[in-house]
Amino acid sequence: MMTQTRNDHEECWLQLPWLATGRLSPGERAAAEEHVRGCTACAAELERQRLVCAALREPERVTHAPGPSFRKLLERIDAAGAAPAPEPVPDLGAHRAARTRRLRPAAAWRPPGLAWAATFVFALGVGMLAPTFYRWSQPAYSTYTRAAPAPAGVLHIAFERSLAVGDVEQLLRAAGARIVEGPDRNGIFGVAPAEESTDAGAITPRMRALAARLGSDARVRWLQPLPATAAEPGADRTAAPH
Amino acid sequence: MTETYRGAAAVAHETQLIARIAEGDRRAFEELYTLYHRRMARFLTRLTRRYELAEEVINDTFWVVWRKAGDFRGDSQPSTWILGIAYRKARSAFRSAARLAERDLETATEALTSEAPANSEELRDWLGQALQQLPVEQRMAVELCYELGYSCEEIGTIMDCPPNTVKTRLFHARAKLQKLLPQLATPQADIARENQQS
Ligand SMILES: [Zn+2]
Repeated sequence: MMTQTRNDHEECWLQLPWLATGRLSPGERAAAEEHVRGCTACAAELERQRLVCAALREPERVTHAPGPSFRKLLERIDAAGAAPAPEPVPDLGAHRAARTRRLRPAAAWRPPGLAWAATFVFALGVGMLAPTFYRWSQPAYSTYTRAAPAPAGVLHIAFERSLAVGDVEQLLRAAGARIVEGPDRNGIFGVAPAEESTDAGAITPRMRALAARLGSDARVRWLQPLPATAAEPGADRTAAPH
Repeated sequence: MTETYRGAAAVAHETQLIARIAEGDRRAFEELYTLYHRRMARFLTRLTRRYELAEEVINDTFWVVWRKAGDFRGDSQPSTWILGIAYRKARSAFRSAARLAERDLETATEALTSEAPANSEELRDWLGQALQQLPVEQRMAVELCYELGYSCEEIGTIMDCPPNTVKTRLFHARAKLQKLLPQLATPQADIARENQQS
């Protein structure tokens, strides 16, 4: 056995917590174990370290569910309008073309609240949308009637702020919807019928049925109105948002 | 019991979650939050004795994670990055609230109890009380080492200090705990044995 020096002892003493937790490198561990075998003080301290370690790793008696804390944090993020990183102002045409490929819409450039929707649809309406889209079924949304609606195939929706991320997913799944955009900094998602591609570029009966289902859910804070069009006979009535 | 010593797959998964968070993915954010909430709630509650303060530190930490995810370059493990933020948040939360002012080591108080703990659960309760008497740096080092199982170098990364400082902090913490819990000086043979068997 090697002679124990004072240096060995001091070095080993400092390393004992990690000898107890098994987090020394193989070399350090071999040296420390060698010292402990010949040093009663270190051997006793190692026992105490193991005791402390076991006590602090006892299973918890009380666990806290993360859900409520996470909801508080999301509220704070939404209140601050915090996007993780600023995004460049997108080209609207490119945005529309890329819409179905991107999970996340450009968020940073939108003005707060619902105002962004009007800006958005108005800008698109300038050259891209057919005149039949100008007719709206909901007088409550008359502010939008001079603009064209948002691109067909994607329905914009916002949920109660208190709704957890998991609840939003559950709600959408139950309604037969999938998320194709968002949420943006205002909590607005773009959704589409789960079984349908958004490439169709038209308001399909499935889309109208989905809007009706979502519009009747009390947890939906806002739903973008769909245009009523004569071109789609037999389509469901547009969902009535509240 | 190496819940905290995570394998390469877990590290890769968490790194990927952070990359998605940088793109604003709230599902990834919720997943990472849920992964860390339990670990952090446990040791922060023990550090602070108050869940509200622990929750405040967790949310302050993840507020930074949400905003700074794009800055994470993967030079360190996700967990040391996140716990490093948590450490700084905890320190400033404790200090600004003046709830747990730094105490001078030399004014070590008398022992919390003269009785030997009946079992390791009781010992844990006493340790929880004793930890309250340590400066936050030492408390944090104790939790990171014993409970979360980080190596000396990893704790140095989290606490942004050299490994020798970590060793010194633990050295003082151990001395103080022993003063506060004299029964630690003469460990109960049965507890020690029970501990070795598990
Ligand atoms: Zn020794």
